[in-house]
Amino acid sequence: MTISRRTSKTRLRKVRLYSSENPGGSDLRKVKLYLEKLFPSLDVQILPSIFGSIKKSELQAVAYALASARVKDPDVQEQSHEPLFGEVDYELRTIQGKARVGGVVYEGRRLRELLIGFLSGRRTLSIASVVFTDRLISTFSRDDMRHHLRTIVCGFPSIVSKPGVVEAPAKPREFYILKQQMELEGASEYGIERLKSSFKGRFVDFGDPRLAEVLRGLTLQAIMYHLTLDPFCDDRDCRLFNSHRQEELVRAQITSGELCSRHTNALEELGRKPLLRW
Amino acid sequence: MPIFEKSSESSITRAIISQFAKDMEGFAETDVIVIGGGPSGLMAARDLALKKVKVLIVERNNYLGGGFWIGGFLMNTITVRAPAQKILDELDIKYKMFEKGLYVTPGPLACSKLIAAACEAGVSILNMAQFDDVVLREKNRVAGAVVNWTPVSALPRQITCVDPVALESKLVIDASGHDAMVVKKLEERGLIKTPGFGAMWIEKSEDAVVEHSGFAHPGLVVIGMAVSTTFGLPRMGPTFGSMLLSGRQGAKVAYDYLKKNK
Repeated sequence: MTISRRTSKTRLRKVRLYSSENPGGSDLRKVKLYLEKLFPSLDVQILPSIFGSIKKSELQAVAYALASARVKDPDVQEQSHEPLFGEVDYELRTIQGKARVGGVVYEGRRLRELLIGFLSGRRTLSIASVVFTDRLISTFSRDDMRHHLRTIVCGFPSIVSKPGVVEAPAKPREFYILKQQMELEGASEYGIERLKSSFKGRFVDFGDPRLAEVLRGLTLQAIMYHLTLDPFCDDRDCRLFNSHRQEELVRAQITSGELCSRHTNALEELGRKPLLRW
Repeated sequence: MPIFEKSSESSITRAIISQFAKDMEGFAETDVIVIGGGPSGLMAARDLALKKVKVLIVERNNYLGGGFWIGGFLMNTITVRAPAQKILDELDIKYKMFEKGLYVTPGPLACSKLIAAACEAGVSILNMAQFDDVVLREKNRVAGAVVNWTPVSALPRQITCVDPVALESKLVIDASGHDAMVVKKLEERGLIKTPGFGAMWIEKSEDAVVEHSGFAHPGLVVIGMAVSTTFGLPRMGPTFGSMLLSGRQGAKVAYDYLKKNK
């Protein structure tokens, strides 16, 4: 696939990186530095979690919408269900920072529709928004007719799921086989953690220092989507490769950590003049 | 000289009946009824009782503790991950550090200490009694539990037409494990729809169980593994730390509600 030569008059001027619900560490600062290096003219801002900007009067409605966006049956494309009283209550507590998020999957596109209403620059394409979240997100795949966890859902805004980096791309096949065997033998959670350590380096785990590196690549994918509507590359050694397996993710984002020659050239041009090409 | 004081059979019978009748009269109206006396139920009941809340645990077995007596693979070593060891400290349960952040303790010790802590805090126990139905009030708010003796359900109906009794409370806590008996009863009545266990593979689900511990319906708090069933969260193995923390979280939610609705 070639990168479109067609340019519009709209220039990308700002990138807003919204922190995840439980911010910590310097991941986004590293992402910001990376983007500033690639796009020297861009004003890259790190903002607090988008959920923190919701008005008090809207809290209940947002909590209801979040609870409605839960994926309860991965085999069903459109999740339509009346959320439980307790689910709405839980979401309300997460928005207010009284409960931690985790363990629940949200439909990525519905989450995006919800978030767009809270973006201050939503009416202009000269601002790209990337929302980082500690929630797990999925989208439905027509290939096998089921929902799959995702690291990123590109769009306006793009959503990057931090736990998705760990949970979405499949781990090595042998890991699952050994894990299943261990579970049948009654292994404890601790045993599973030990198993993980024997696969050290082959997948990104929670608390992994390499997460920041992966987030850089995913954010670049989001910016490429904003500029070209084509965020991915077929080259497995390019940071824009859409990894479905952990080993692919590690290869593209960490072992290589670079762009392919085609995207290096494209980024040089886009970096100088970040005009939308669609 | 005999070891024991003299007493007649009739006195012993009178002592049992009169004390139990007095207890039962108290159970008829309490602040909180906890369905299930496993680790999360005991923990929640104990925390509430320490705050002077009148709590009753309804347990269908003659023993309390649920699965807390044994760990994985029928081995009676319980593992607890930080920060749940702080609860072991609180309950004066001795444990050893297996490695950083992971602690082990004998199941019988941990379980018996937790039961004792609940009883000493003032929790009332109705064991060998099974949850049968919910008491509903305005807008289908849960306001108590209907219970019957456990053996009644095991015998043919023709010979055990024993009606249950209703116990009123300000709140009910469903701590009945994966069965989520109270939630399921509401589902039978069409008042709630549970999604079942989450089918998607997710590693980190313990936090979700703790964080979802709270109201599932007006008047009903869910804790422990019943949380998984109610909200369709991924099923977990024996992770006792999260059961204890879930019980604590449920007690907090319940106490805040009681305080607000005095």
